[in-house]
Amino acid sequence: MLFNSYTFIVFFLILLVLHNATKLPWKIKKTNLLLASYLFYAVWNPPFVILLWLSTVVDFVVGKKLFHTEGKTKRRSLLVVSLVLNLGMLAFFKYGGFLLENFTLLANAMGFNYQPAKPSIILPVGISFYTFQTLCYTLDMYKKRITPEKSFLDFALFVTFFPQLVAGPIVRPAQLLPQFKTPRTANAAQLLKGLFLLSLGLFMKVVMADTMLAEPADQVFGASGSLTALDAWLGVLAFSGQIFFDFAGYSTCAIGIAACIGFSLPDNFRYPYAAIGFSDFWRRWHITLSSWLRDYLYIGLGGNRNGAIRTYANLMMTMLLGGLWHGASWTFVVWGALHGSFLCVERMFRPKPAQTGAVQEETSMEEVSAVIKSASFAPAFFQKRKVKLFFAAMLTFFLVNVTWVFFRSNDFSTAWRLLGSMFGLSEGAPVLPTINIIKVTVVTIALVATHWVMRNTSVMEVAQKTRWWVVGVVWAFMLIALILSQKSSDSFIYFQF
Amino acid sequence: MESKSFFKAGVLALFLVAAFVISWELFWRSKGAPVSFNDDEALWAKSRAEIYLPSDKSTVFIGSSRIKFDLDIPTWEKLTGEKAIQLSMVGTNPVPLLEDLADDPEFKGKLIVDVTEPLFFSLGPQASSSALEGIEYFKNQTPSQKFSSKINHALEANFVFLEEGKYSVTALLEDLELENRKDVFRFPPFPKGFEVTNYNRQTFMTQDFMNDSIQVQRQTAIWMGLGKLFKTPPIKGDTLQQYFTRIKKATDKIKERGGKVVFVRTPASGPMEAGTKAGFPRNVYWDQLLSFTSTQGVHYEDDPGTASFICPEMSHLSPADAIVYTQHLVKTLSAGQGGSFFTPKFK
Repeated sequence: MLFNSYTFIVFFLILLVLHNATKLPWKIKKTNLLLASYLFYAVWNPPFVILLWLSTVVDFVVGKKLFHTEGKTKRRSLLVVSLVLNLGMLAFFKYGGFLLENFTLLANAMGFNYQPAKPSIILPVGISFYTFQTLCYTLDMYKKRITPEKSFLDFALFVTFFPQLVAGPIVRPAQLLPQFKTPRTANAAQLLKGLFLLSLGLFMKVVMADTMLAEPADQVFGASGSLTALDAWLGVLAFSGQIFFDFAGYSTCAIGIAACIGFSLPDNFRYPYAAIGFSDFWRRWHITLSSWLRDYLYIGLGGNRNGAIRTYANLMMTMLLGGLWHGASWTFVVWGALHGSFLCVERMFRPKPAQTGAVQEETSMEEVSAVIKSASFAPAFFQKRKVKLFFAAMLTFFLVNVTWVFFRSNDFSTAWRLLGSMFGLSEGAPVLPTINIIKVTVVTIALVATHWVMRNTSVMEVAQKTRWWVVGVVWAFMLIALILSQKSSDSFIYFQF
Repeated sequence: MESKSFFKAGVLALFLVAAFVISWELFWRSKGAPVSFNDDEALWAKSRAEIYLPSDKSTVFIGSSRIKFDLDIPTWEKLTGEKAIQLSMVGTNPVPLLEDLADDPEFKGKLIVDVTEPLFFSLGPQASSSALEGIEYFKNQTPSQKFSSKINHALEANFVFLEEGKYSVTALLEDLELENRKDVFRFPPFPKGFEVTNYNRQTFMTQDFMNDSIQVQRQTAIWMGLGKLFKTPPIKGDTLQQYFTRIKKATDKIKERGGKVVFVRTPASGPMEAGTKAGFPRNVYWDQLLSFTSTQGVHYEDDPGTASFICPEMSHLSPADAIVYTQHLVKTLSAGQGGSFFTPKFK
């Protein structure tokens, strides 16, 4: 079910009472949470709950065996079982059509007249998210980073925990499993913080993404011909804002909902449009995915341990697969390739480790984080003056917007046509009505300004320092805007990933 | 901020929200705004699920906005003792809806199809998009969406300001009289009293709207403007014959299962009707449709009791005239060619 639906409000109120206001044993409360999570997922498409069960049972059993088995071959075989199941499901449901389409193209290019029936595969909501979450448990077991979870109930809840089940944040076993060990209910502060974040998340999704920006983005990306540069840029900026508000809104809701029942989830966004450079961007955008890709893919491929060329190749491979994770289309691959290229360029120009004191090899999360932090070239040049930093951030924002063209376009012809319009390479027609121009302009300026002002802090930190009545008025404003927007059923964009 | 201060902030927010909601609702009610449902996919899907009632207990209506205004559902239900299931969609070609019903083997009931020629004979994707989206929504509606729509409808039945098309942020921004860019289409906002929709999808215009000549003129101008903007040459020749074949295929499917189909042409007036008659001559379109599909038709011009209605804004009947029109329609159908449209219980 969607957070922005009446069904969820009823579901959440019942759960809040059952979890926070009863004195049921902790095991019963956890069972309630698990059943609620299955219900949360099943109301979309009940049969797909079976996939969750399958993934849970196989990874629980395989994970345990992986940890206790010593033989290299046996351990690898067990790992393959888990990978085949998890990635196999992902490949079938998400990439089945894409693979068949490309195979058909290839076969026809080679002279075979092959025309298979078009498959009709429904994508289970959030499959990319929970697949990555269970995969990291298996991979951690394989590397023996953590000990196997003894409680099947806790593990099932880790896989299925409803606040972040379908669109993240992607949580590591070490972040969530320990929280199931001791009884948790939300105290007054957590509950209020949670409700505030839930209000903020819904405001971002319903008011900003759906009401203010979705229509202009659709108008521009849905246009069949070339556009004026103004329209093309505003459409891309609209999408840029829409996808941020939509996805960060979901994450904020998830963190808020978890807080309301006494749990803590990691941050997923830290004002990404104030990023200075692309490595900084990826430390601020979809943080739990980028750290997953870094820890389980980039480092798995060898990271930066095998020379410069391999490092760049690993970086590109990571971003290409990161692009493909978002959708089964070559446009997503190009989006990933652009990000990978920008990251490589940044890395080429970044200061040498000797100059910055940054670590050379990734051996721990902290060190890796420092490496990526130092990969941003801009601070070395611009750290003296804030204005220059701001312009560096705007350059990053500009390039990020260029990449969004490929992310949002349904095909390459749309993407090229739009890029042509953005850079004045073609004559075009206007498509956005005046009201939408005003909406996009106001929201984009407010968005970028907010990100810049907030880039080194957080909403809760600011709320803590603000007078209570100001917080109350802002909170009321968000709720009133939500009520007035009245859009209660639009799906979150990232569900399709 | 301490949790005590956060608590105070929460209480203040709740107080402000409650004060706003009450004031906002009272404001619109003081302006005479009635409760009206969002005529969206969820409301349509609710009606779509009702089509499986026995054929002697219900009649399904498909078409565009005209039949939504012109059929007075209470009058129909009172006279026939049967439920009227309104599946028409505003600004929509009903043929995809007809095909959807024809392809549903469980639908064996009575069907009335409203023919508004500029829409009915439009093959452009714009005229069919709402119908296709509604069908898609109905087929893929999740349990969560069904439950949410029940709560939503309960709230909409009590709060005026919850009608998205008129009082949401988007609608209010659309109401701003900003000069629009040249050469960019912006759908003109309708006067708020023009369309009120009940839970059964009956649509009507308010008395305030009909009393306000400026609003009526504005709506009339909107129709004329849209007519000019979306003016496409009427389909002719082979295309028209193929279209008739497509319609016949659908009506035959329903008839073969024991269902009944009738086409109706509802009243219009003024330049809009004159333009329609000029663009879609009756003998080429309406008469051919009936003869090609071997289906009964009820044209408003054929009944002296319905031939001279004046539509306030040229396209839809007033609520009072809709009652009269419905009475005549029931009478005509009960004495239809080849037997009554209704089951013997109704005379």
